[in-house]
Amino acid sequence: MEEENLIKKLEEASLPEIEIPSHKRKLKRVLLNKYFREKRNWEIFNILRKVVPVGAIVIILIILISNNLIFPQYSLAKAKEIAIRDPQIKELIEKGAIIKDVKILQDKAYVLVQPLAGAEMEAEEIKTGLKTEGEFLGALAEVDLKEKKVSRIEKVTPQFSPLAEGEKEKAKEIAENNPEIRKIIPEEAEITKIMPVPFSQLRLIKEKNSVRVVPEQIKEKRVRIIYELNKNQWEGEIDLIEEKVGGVKFLGETEE
Amino acid sequence: MDLSKEKGLIEKAKKDPEAFGKIFDENYPKIFGYILKRVANLEIAQDVTSETFLKALKNLWKFRWRNIPFSAWLYRIANNEIANFFRKRKYKSVSLEKIPEPIAVSNPSIEIIEAQEKLKAHKDFLALQEKILRLPLKYQEVISLRFFEKKKIREIAEILGKKEGTIKSLLRRGLEKLREKFNATF
Repeated sequence: MEEENLIKKLEEASLPEIEIPSHKRKLKRVLLNKYFREKRNWEIFNILRKVVPVGAIVIILIILISNNLIFPQYSLAKAKEIAIRDPQIKELIEKGAIIKDVKILQDKAYVLVQPLAGAEMEAEEIKTGLKTEGEFLGALAEVDLKEKKVSRIEKVTPQFSPLAEGEKEKAKEIAENNPEIRKIIPEEAEITKIMPVPFSQLRLIKEKNSVRVVPEQIKEKRVRIIYELNKNQWEGEIDLIEEKVGGVKFLGETEE
Repeated sequence: MDLSKEKGLIEKAKKDPEAFGKIFDENYPKIFGYILKRVANLEIAQDVTSETFLKALKNLWKFRWRNIPFSAWLYRIANNEIANFFRKRKYKSVSLEKIPEPIAVSNPSIEIIEAQEKLKAHKDFLALQEKILRLPLKYQEVISLRFFEKKKIREIAEILGKKEGTIKSLLRRGLEKLREKFNATF
């Protein structure tokens, strides 16, 4: 075979895009669940590498391992492992949530579990313990590190930033000028409510004697406008930062 | 994704698992596709891809931006994992089985059967790959990256961490050897 023919054969050889979505999903979940452990390992390694000379590392490691100090039971990875073993947390993770943040406070760890950004989870889907209505923003699990079990799980309370009058007006103006809203919602429909949308991305902060769920430090200001006409309700979501409409949907009929 | 955006996303991924998830989504198809073209076997391709991304996660915090796409680094890890596979021929696969599949939107075994059918249908490719697999790894890498991944010489050099001149000569010698394999068959 001539070289040109071989090159032509190679250039023409093709394989279509073959994908195995279930493998992709599983692998992604494995990676996201390993994320904090790997990060922690790297941080420990990095600190030791920078601060302590090699010989001293060996001696300190021997002392610390023998005293069970370097891998204390209070480590973040340990807390995460305990949380994942809990049936409710396991169920959330199986439904697509991830462990977003972990904070340790004395002999307790606090594990924040949230749906992946953009993946909405309805709370009513969560069978155990957390059954409430509406959008599920996350759950906070308290892990008892001594007992090695989850002692409490609570649904994360929505975090809002109040809406100023000017912001309400701005939201109305964006909605009025939006062709999608004008197409879906009848012109005669009246605005019955304008309310802030809770922050979707949360994190934990440690205070003196407690751990608190706070919004991520990202610029986010979304507003929900409810329209009503002849008992029918619609909802428009407005992003005030991007100044655009995030979505419009028909909510159904109002209850008597 | 342009390089400056990608750089920002990688810095974010070192702090935020969701950003890492985005990087994964962006790169999974090409890395899986590349590995599949190299090993021509779906089960092995899944295992090697898993190992590649697990190594990438483990070393994410060591990664230093060098103004080349992040995928070049992933291709390099993939090459090492493929080499490991060929060296050992017995790959200790990562068990994803322990992780339950969320509310099934698809059936994994059907997906694999369908993918297997698709792969088998490309007989020309498989015949060619069978010959390439007989070459030493250094030639397999350059030939696959050049012709199947359509990478430029500069990009292959970035992935393999070699000079462009070295890549050119590897490619030339690889093609010669591949031609010999074909001629020996006829």
